[in-house]
Amino acid sequence: MVFPSLLAHPTITVTGLHKRFGATTALDGMTFAVRPGQVTGFVGPNGAGKSTTLRIILGLDAADTGEALVDGQPYRALRHPLRHVGSLLDASALGPGRTARNHLLWLAHSQGLGARRVDEVLETTGLTSAARRRAGGFSLGMRQRLGIAAALLGDPPTLLLDEPFNGMDPEGIIWLRRLIRSLAADGRAVLLSSHLMRQLEDIADRVVVVGRGRVLADAAVGDLLTTVSDGRVTVRPVAPMAVGGGEAEAAAVAGAGALDVATAVLVDGGGSVLPAGDGSLVVAGLSAEAIAALLGRHGVPFSELTAHRATLEDAYLQLTEQAVDYRAPAVADRGVLPADAR
Amino acid sequence: MGCVLRAEWTKARTSPGMSSLLATMVVVTVALSAAVAATADPLPGADLPKLGLTGVQLGQAVVAVFGVLVMGEEYATGLVTVTVTAVPHRAMVLAAKAAVVIGLVAAAATVAVAGCVLVGWLLVPTGAGVPTGALSSAAAGLHAEVPVPAAPSPDAVAVRPAVGSVLYLVLIGLLSLGVATSVRSSAVGVGIVLALLYVLPIVTAVVADPTWQRHLRQLGPASVGLAVQASTADPEIGPWTGLGILVLWAVGALLAAAILLARRDV
Repeated sequence: MVFPSLLAHPTITVTGLHKRFGATTALDGMTFAVRPGQVTGFVGPNGAGKSTTLRIILGLDAADTGEALVDGQPYRALRHPLRHVGSLLDASALGPGRTARNHLLWLAHSQGLGARRVDEVLETTGLTSAARRRAGGFSLGMRQRLGIAAALLGDPPTLLLDEPFNGMDPEGIIWLRRLIRSLAADGRAVLLSSHLMRQLEDIADRVVVVGRGRVLADAAVGDLLTTVSDGRVTVRPVAPMAVGGGEAEAAAVAGAGALDVATAVLVDGGGSVLPAGDGSLVVAGLSAEAIAALLGRHGVPFSELTAHRATLEDAYLQLTEQAVDYRAPAVADRGVLPADAR
Repeated sequence: MGCVLRAEWTKARTSPGMSSLLATMVVVTVALSAAVAATADPLPGADLPKLGLTGVQLGQAVVAVFGVLVMGEEYATGLVTVTVTAVPHRAMVLAAKAAVVIGLVAAAATVAVAGCVLVGWLLVPTGAGVPTGALSSAAAGLHAEVPVPAAPSPDAVAVRPAVGSVLYLVLIGLLSLGVATSVRSSAVGVGIVLALLYVLPIVTAVVADPTWQRHLRQLGPASVGLAVQASTADPEIGPWTGLGILVLWAVGALLAAAILLARRDV
């Protein structure tokens, strides 16, 4: 089924959700929308309120204030909700003694659907051969597939997937990324939650970054990367003798000197310089042309001069820096993790 | 509602533990009745139909476990979030589960009670208690060397104790479903129901004050419900009144469950 994405009315709107659990504020004015034809990444550190938001959208938890609407209605008012929204919250939530097929069968019956649709989604998710095995014996990756099969059961225009890549092998991850892209290409709205920004790279059209129960950024992926890059330039200085392909070792030793020289030159020229750690420098406050001119004038050769390409990870870390609830300083101090591990 | 009922029926049908649990209920009920019937030496005037239905007092424990697990297992596995996502009208989920409990427990209890009645005919010594009919002369003539059980008299096949026992077990199942849904735990649910069924009668027995003892006996779900098995009227609790009080227990538990289910976060 193809859904008209031209009429890009949001399929899910979340407005001003607040929710407290005892003394803890889980949601503090969460507001965003999910649009058809797009994969919306929903990302934030653990405890940012992602799962609580999803549970409120699905009518499992009640918000203290604010509302979440699905196709303009509260979820709990939907008659056959799985035909509006397919969701995967917790892949392990199933009766372990029931077979995969029977698990889908009762779900299908609850939506007025039959066994044929069950066999279709088993096929889509590659579970046909495991259909008559007990779901309790499934690996986490297979449970994720079963959960996705359940989400697809009602052929819904909207999908909510909470950490669907967890426990999947590389082959499964590639398969799922393709599936999610094709669902969005059908015109469906996909909300894909993850605590790892890397998983959203190249798959999300839009990201909603959350921290401490509210939205920190809600932007198209391209816009977000531009904002974070902010006109910075990456330059890779090299020692004169290394130009043209000298010995790698000599280049590394001399390169360290070249970095210092280049840094001094660029700071003198009015730029602010940050070593990227891989032998290159990230320069802000100077255009690429100005950098090329400065280095040329001082006889510092360079092998690369490009507009800095921020990764989604950079954007995410920059946005959530203030909003991470649970860091692990104690662990880092004991030297179990490098101090810069997050 | 049709869809929800069908879904819950499919769920119960495909749950491997449920059918064996109901089979267990039938077996232990009939087995205890058989043991009692085979070993009893009832005095003249004893209530034979009630004696033959002794197994119900053990079978009710299995019915309680069944009723608790119908909902308790969903909380244990987290399946309840999937169920409520599929059917956000939570009272409807509970109603469908109640219907499934009624249907399955009624079917299993009918088999169990029929078994009890049968072993009662076969094993309870004749000549004692309620008078029984004479040997069928035709049967005696055909199988002279085989001992033929006494043909049951209408009194022995007392209908009320039998039908009442089936209803009793169904109500215990519903009470258990309501309790388990309210407490969201199989272990706590089983504990509460078994305490109501077995501990309350013990407490009642040791209460010194006769007025309090009578009140407790007129309220406890097991003592009031099982009054329906008595062939001779119990002076304290009428058989159908007793079952009526048990209906209040079951309805009360289910109402509490429905309210909590609707109001709580899953």
